[in-house]
Amino acid sequence: MIRENARILRKERLERFLEDLLQDHLVLAPRRKGELLLLDRIESPRDVVLEDGKTKNSAKYALFPQRERIFAYRAEEGKVELHVSPPAEEKQILFGVRPCDARGLLLLDTVFGGDCGDPYYVDKRARTLVVSMACVNPGPSCFCLSLGGGPCSTDGSDLVLLDLGDCYVVEAASVKGRAFLQDRSFEDAGAEALARAGKIRKEAESSMNPAAIGEALEKRLEQPVDDLLWGDLAESCLGCGVCTYLCPTCHCFDICDEAAAATGERIRIWDSCQFPLFTQEASGFNPRPSGKERFRQRIMHKFSYLPRGRNMAGCVGCGRCVAECPVNLDVREVLEKLSQAEAQ
Amino acid sequence: MTECGTWEPKIVAFLCNWCSYAGADLAGISRIQYPPTIRIIRVPCSGRIDPLFILASLQKGADGVLVSGCHPGECHYLTGNYSARRKFALLKSLLEYVGLEEDRVQFSWVSASEGARFAKVVEKVTARIKALGPAKQLVKDVPGGSFDVAAHS
Amino acid sequence: MSRLTREIREAARTLLRDKQAQVVIGFEEGSLPLRSRPCFIRKAEDVDRLVWNSFSEINLARYLTKRKEKVALVTKGCDSRALVELIKENQVSRDQVIVIGVPCEGMIDRARVEAEVGHKTIVEVKETENRLALKGRAFEKVLDRREFLYERCKTCDHRNPVLYDMLVGQLLEEKGQDAFSDVEAFNALDREKRWAYLTEEAGKCIRCYACRNACPLCYCPECFVDTSQPQWVGKSTGLSDTLVFHLVRAFHLAGRCVACGACEQACPMGVDIRKLNRKLLKDVKALFNYEAGVSLEEANPLATFSADDPEQFMVNP
Repeated sequence: MIRENARILRKERLERFLEDLLQDHLVLAPRRKGELLLLDRIESPRDVVLEDGKTKNSAKYALFPQRERIFAYRAEEGKVELHVSPPAEEKQILFGVRPCDARGLLLLDTVFGGDCGDPYYVDKRARTLVVSMACVNPGPSCFCLSLGGGPCSTDGSDLVLLDLGDCYVVEAASVKGRAFLQDRSFEDAGAEALARAGKIRKEAESSMNPAAIGEALEKRLEQPVDDLLWGDLAESCLGCGVCTYLCPTCHCFDICDEAAAATGERIRIWDSCQFPLFTQEASGFNPRPSGKERFRQRIMHKFSYLPRGRNMAGCVGCGRCVAECPVNLDVREVLEKLSQAEAQ
Repeated sequence: MTECGTWEPKIVAFLCNWCSYAGADLAGISRIQYPPTIRIIRVPCSGRIDPLFILASLQKGADGVLVSGCHPGECHYLTGNYSARRKFALLKSLLEYVGLEEDRVQFSWVSASEGARFAKVVEKVTARIKALGPAKQLVKDVPGGSFDVAAHS
Repeated sequence: MSRLTREIREAARTLLRDKQAQVVIGFEEGSLPLRSRPCFIRKAEDVDRLVWNSFSEINLARYLTKRKEKVALVTKGCDSRALVELIKENQVSRDQVIVIGVPCEGMIDRARVEAEVGHKTIVEVKETENRLALKGRAFEKVLDRREFLYERCKTCDHRNPVLYDMLVGQLLEEKGQDAFSDVEAFNALDREKRWAYLTEEAGKCIRCYACRNACPLCYCPECFVDTSQPQWVGKSTGLSDTLVFHLVRAFHLAGRCVACGACEQACPMGVDIRKLNRKLLKDVKALFNYEAGVSLEEANPLATFSADDPEQFMVNP
């Protein structure tokens, strides 16, 4: 719903708006590096690329880096000195992320926030403003609508921009976002602009194909699925980590100590349930010995365990796993087949 | 570091037990002087050397790596050094290709009776690596290292 | 191309019906434009899923190791070479695989096609002969497929499978020896430039191991990056560890890599992985006169030696 307190940002004002943001924020936005579109730090508004769809990496990278130092140490003469980086103070803005990525942050919030708040994540999250860019042209791999999101969803965002062609409609989706609405670069939005925005949103949503996700799937997954079917579904899977690493909601990590002779650091790095070592036990036994079990676990975790435990699927329908999988293993097709699988 | 504070390279030397290690031992017994830059790791045969050893040494901060084995035809295990020779040729070529300084990784044949030759090999290798300065390229990121990664990657 | 599709389906149908093979591994249409993907057909009535087009990328020989069934493999040149190496390394036995040989005119580099249309979303692709008709939301474009092949397909010197039990289509004229001009061009750059290029490429790597897992010759039960006693390579995306991973993996493939490019295709970040493999391919040919995957009789170059192997690179005071 486009609310009445939406505003307009004319495209010729975008550069100034970004420059204002860059004054006292770290700004991460889509930018081209070679042929890749990556969410990365920008130095100037001219670095930003807003037309080309999803970034290769997802927004989780800004709050949950792939490599993060927990502490460094130095050992000397029987004493050990720890160095913990003080929390950064810089505020950061994720600009131009897509609604799917913003929704992904909501799932990460349930994992890293709450009572057992992860200080590294929580600290960054508190300093982050999410300014999303709605999708007017969802791609063939996108299925956010089937997961409760949508190409123009405001979930997880503080502000959402929607491209009308000559200007953006700016909508606030949170208290933080509302404070920004008074920015000097914005103007009042007239009814005509809001009507155009509504139309674009409807067109974007109706252009998407539905995926077989929802209560029926959840119910089916409460019952066991034939082992042989899992084997068939997972047969082409290479067992790499592409889907997990590019996914906006995947959050598994490992803690490693990197040690030199007298110095070292403890770091947190991304891990993937698709790697054999993920569940390898010290005895040598592995409860998920082959790709089939690991593939099953991924699907069940995202579409059964998380919905049951956290009321939220571990998926926002961004479609990166579909588009980037080296063998084009399509999770939508997998879910379709599972929905139709006979009860055991 | 020597007493006068000039930099001396740290070179990891993988020596095969039967020839090169014995040759180094002979140099020692014969009181032949050679630069104290090498740290010797004894292996059964030069054929045992996995490129991982060489790269791990560079990662951990070695300024150079020397691998030395028996002369072809004299390997204690008959053919180990022949296999090694092929691996070394490919590895050296690959490391140069990627832009690693050519003299960081070196290979030699030294027999058990060649104490003097061993000393000369170490002199030559040390001189070449000294001219290059401390290694920076593959050194692993540890706090204070050259690839020190900030908390935000 | 559609003739090849027809013949592949026929071959598969016969083999399954006569129970000569328990599974046919080939390609089917993907769920997105510009994609075909591996499929496993076990019933004769499913053979119409099989297709052959210019998006049939990944090296299917990758699916042969540790398989007990009798397999019929839809095999292009590079796949067949990987199969030869797997047979020599005793990972697959020759009589376990029925090779449906397919002469290949090259596969399309999706990234270049996407760049060509300015990264606008492509919604539909139709391939006929050498014509690629692309359609997006608000654009249409026709490309000549021959201009958008992968680099390695453009210089491929094994378009025909090197071994086969049955052949579909017609043998193509081979284009002649690979001159490795890309390797020479890179070697001619300054040392610092080469290192800068490598570190920049390694900086893109996210250690997803898609390259390793897509490679038919990377089948170790425990990869060197996964050992923990000792831990040779750190698991993080630190530059030093990532460089060592790629250097050692390339080296472990010396004399075994068949330059199929599955690694490059699988990489989501567009890392130039083949740069290292190409150098080793050239060296293995120049130093040991060996080309991987061409002969079932020739031993792997690192499993043999010659008394006259070159050693001018060694220190000789």
